[in-house]
Amino acid sequence: MAKRRVLGMPRPLLAGVLFFIVFLLVVGFLVGPLGKNMFGDLGLPAWLSLPHPEFQLPAETAFHLFGFPVANSIIGAWITMAVLICLSYVITRRMKIIPGRLQSAFELLLGWLYDLCRRVAGEENGRRFFPVVATIFLFVAFNAWLSLIPGFGSILVAGAEGEPVHLLRGANTDINMPLALALVSFVFVEYFGLKSLGLRYLGKFFNAGQFFQSLGHMVRGRLRAGLGGLFTGFIHIFVGLLEALSEMVRIVSFTFRLFGNMTAGEILLLIAAFLIPWVFALPFYGLELLVGFVQALIFSGLTLVFLTLAVAHHGEESA
Amino acid sequence: MSRWTAALRLVGVGFFIGSSIVLGVVAGLWLDSRLNTSPALAIAGLLLGIVVAFYGVYRMLIPLLKNRKNGEGD
Repeated sequence: MAKRRVLGMPRPLLAGVLFFIVFLLVVGFLVGPLGKNMFGDLGLPAWLSLPHPEFQLPAETAFHLFGFPVANSIIGAWITMAVLICLSYVITRRMKIIPGRLQSAFELLLGWLYDLCRRVAGEENGRRFFPVVATIFLFVAFNAWLSLIPGFGSILVAGAEGEPVHLLRGANTDINMPLALALVSFVFVEYFGLKSLGLRYLGKFFNAGQFFQSLGHMVRGRLRAGLGGLFTGFIHIFVGLLEALSEMVRIVSFTFRLFGNMTAGEILLLIAAFLIPWVFALPFYGLELLVGFVQALIFSGLTLVFLTLAVAHHGEESA
Repeated sequence: MSRWTAALRLVGVGFFIGSSIVLGVVAGLWLDSRLNTSPALAIAGLLLGIVVAFYGVYRMLIPLLKNRKNGEGD
């Protein structure tokens, strides 16, 4: 008689696993601060619960290398880079017509990103923008997922004054990394804008042509035309200023969106694991996996949209 | 315009508004503390931030509005 299986497990095993999970949940609730407040201290062993989590907003210095302080977040960034480089080496070393599992997963991901680029920016520009967009996407996503590996943030080393310091930390939770990424995105937007439009690109920010033209009108005695043009010219200059300012604001909004979402996720996991230890934090892990993906998509996608805007001529921005 | 472009544009709007206003106020407060002109520049920064926010959002959404008008909104 064939055994009936649910989720690939025989039923008794599944029931046992479910029971164990519920058991852990109840025990976790009782030993955590929530349960202690409700039912008092039940005298359960102290190692079952977690100490109060402390989150350091600025990254800590893990050690010094050649006199430079090395923050724990940059070690996280290095590991992300190493993982990405190794992965791409392993995947592209022996490319097959009929891809294996890893190759097809990455072909799926990159193919989807490539399609996104072409659909948003058009055929030719999509090809040009793809390397920038895909790099940002892969780095942000892998960085977020890497710091979700259990044990990633729990390795302690002795800091400069002998105090315990976390060795690893997701680079996205240190504001310098999102800022650096935002600056990279900003630089590429300006670079592609200048490259494809030339000096006309700067005309978006310094639009004083009409102003001086109407000043000329006034000087030559055509007062009426001059005054009206002067006002419009002044508005043009002001709009150029706003355009430049909004370019700056973009950097800040990129930075804080990524930093805020990632840091909030880290704190959420810490607090969930502290309030009800053990299995309660598990759904939040799933949530954070999704958040990491979505933030990577937003960061790279917005870069793509602004790149498309920068190379578009005036008046044809619907791309 | 694809659905993706529209979605990505809309995603950017929220944080853009917040950042531009906060950036204006913070820059104003900082200048105030340097120049002892409190609170004039903070208010000016706030107003400028709001104007930039509106202008930037308008710029981001023009294509969407145009599409809607032409009846080809996808």
